[in-house]
Amino acid sequence: MTKRNSYAGIVSGGGFGLAPLSEHDFRQIHLATLEVLEKTGLFIESTEALDLYSDGGCIVDRETHTVRFPPHVVEDAIASAPETIALYGRGNPAHDVVLEPGRVGFTNFSEGLQFVDPRSGEHRDSTKQDLADIARMADYLSEIDTFGVAVGAHDAPVRTAAIHNAEAQLLNTTKPVDAGPIDGKDVRDIAAMAAALVGGEDELRARPILFMGACPVSPLKIPADACEIIIECARAGVADNILSMAMSGASSPVTVAGTLVVHNAEVLAGLVLAQLAERGAPVIYGSSTTAMDMRLATASVGSPECGIISACVAYIAKQYRLPSFVAGA
Amino acid sequence: MTESGVTFDAAQFVLDNEYARLIKYAVRGVEVNDQTLLVDDIIAVGAHKDYLSLDSTLARMREPSTSQILDRRVREDWEADGGNEVNVKARAKALEILDSHQPAPVDPDALAQVRAIVDKADRERGG
Repeated sequence: MTKRNSYAGIVSGGGFGLAPLSEHDFRQIHLATLEVLEKTGLFIESTEALDLYSDGGCIVDRETHTVRFPPHVVEDAIASAPETIALYGRGNPAHDVVLEPGRVGFTNFSEGLQFVDPRSGEHRDSTKQDLADIARMADYLSEIDTFGVAVGAHDAPVRTAAIHNAEAQLLNTTKPVDAGPIDGKDVRDIAAMAAALVGGEDELRARPILFMGACPVSPLKIPADACEIIIECARAGVADNILSMAMSGASSPVTVAGTLVVHNAEVLAGLVLAQLAERGAPVIYGSSTTAMDMRLATASVGSPECGIISACVAYIAKQYRLPSFVAGA
Repeated sequence: MTESGVTFDAAQFVLDNEYARLIKYAVRGVEVNDQTLLVDDIIAVGAHKDYLSLDSTLARMREPSTSQILDRRVREDWEADGGNEVNVKARAKALEILDSHQPAPVDPDALAQVRAIVDKADRERGG
C-alpha cells in the first residue's frame, strides 16, 4: 500500500494545520520575487546552465554570469513542474510514498557530521557504517517516509563520499532515498546505482526509488555544482529537491518576509533551470532557511523562526502546486 | 539531530519517529458526521451511565492515539518499572532495532553492479 499521508488544514475533512500567510501575503511575496528575478536576477556559475537559460528566454550576461528572468518564463516553469511525485520502496510497496502539496510526511535531518554512538555514548566523527546503521533504523521506524544522508561517511575519500553515502543508503533501507550528490558526476553514478537495483534506467524513471538535492547559495547564487545536479536530475527523471539555506540577518534580509523573497527567488531560479533542461522535470520546493542567532552568530535550526519560515515555505509551495520539503531539527 | 543539525543521535531518531506518528495523528483532524456525532448514544447514556461498553466505542477502540516510547503511565507505575527517563527507553529501542532489523537483501548481481560503480568512482576521482 502506497503511503498517502494526510493533508494538513483541509476544512472539508477536518484536519489541523497552520495558515501562516494570507493569500494576499503570498501574492505580495510572489510579485516581489518576480521583481527581484527580473531586475537583479541570479549569479549562475555554470556555462551549460547559462546556455539553457538563454535558450529558454532569460536575459543572460555571460561576462558577469547574471541571469535575469522575464516573469512569464518563471510562471511557465512553475506551471510545468508536476504537482505529484511518486517515490517507490526498493522491492517493497509498503514503502511507496506520494509527495504532494499539503500532505505531511517526515524524514530525518540530513548531512550531519558527527554521531553519538548509542552503545558507548561516544561522540565522534561519523562513518559509512554509521550511515548504514541509521538507514536500517529508518527502514524500521514506521513514520520515516524517506531516508536522507543522516550523517556523512568521513572514512570515505572526500571526492567520492557522496557515492559511498548513497551506497550505504540504498543498500540498507528499502525506503525511498534522498541522496546528496555534490556534482553532476555524482548524480549520474548514484542514478546508475539505483538503476542497477531496480533493473535498469527505464525502470528507475517509471518507479524512482530516490530523489536528490541541490542547494543554491544565498543570496542569489547557484554554484556550478548545484547547476549540474539540477540539470542531470532533470535529464535522469529523478526528482530534485531545490533547497535554499538562507540565514536571515546574514545571507538574507533580517525580516521573514524579505527572507522568503530571497529564498523564493533562488528556488524558482533552480526550478526554471530544471524545466528548461527537461520540461516536466519533477522538482521539490525545499528549505533549510532559518534565522541567524545574532548573539551567537549561528544558524538557529529548530528555532521558532525556522518553524515559521518552514510553514511559510510549505504554504508558498502549495500555492505553486509543488511538493515541499522543509527543515525541522 | 543536536547542535543545529551537526550531530545525529539514534535515541532522538526513535523519539522523532514517535513525535511524527503523533503529529500525523493530529493532522488528520476531526471527522464530523452522524457516525461521529453519536447523538443517539449521548441521549441514551445521559448523565448517569458511561460509554465504555457501547458498540460505537468497541468499533473504534483502536482509533485513539497510543504511545510506544513516551510514557503515559501514572508516576507510581513508572517508578516501579525502573523510573527510566525517556532517552533511556529510546536508546534501548534504538539498540534493539540495530541488533535485529535487517531490510530486504539486495540481489547479488545488482549488488555487484553497485559496488563496481563505487569502485570505479574511487579509482577515477577518489585519490
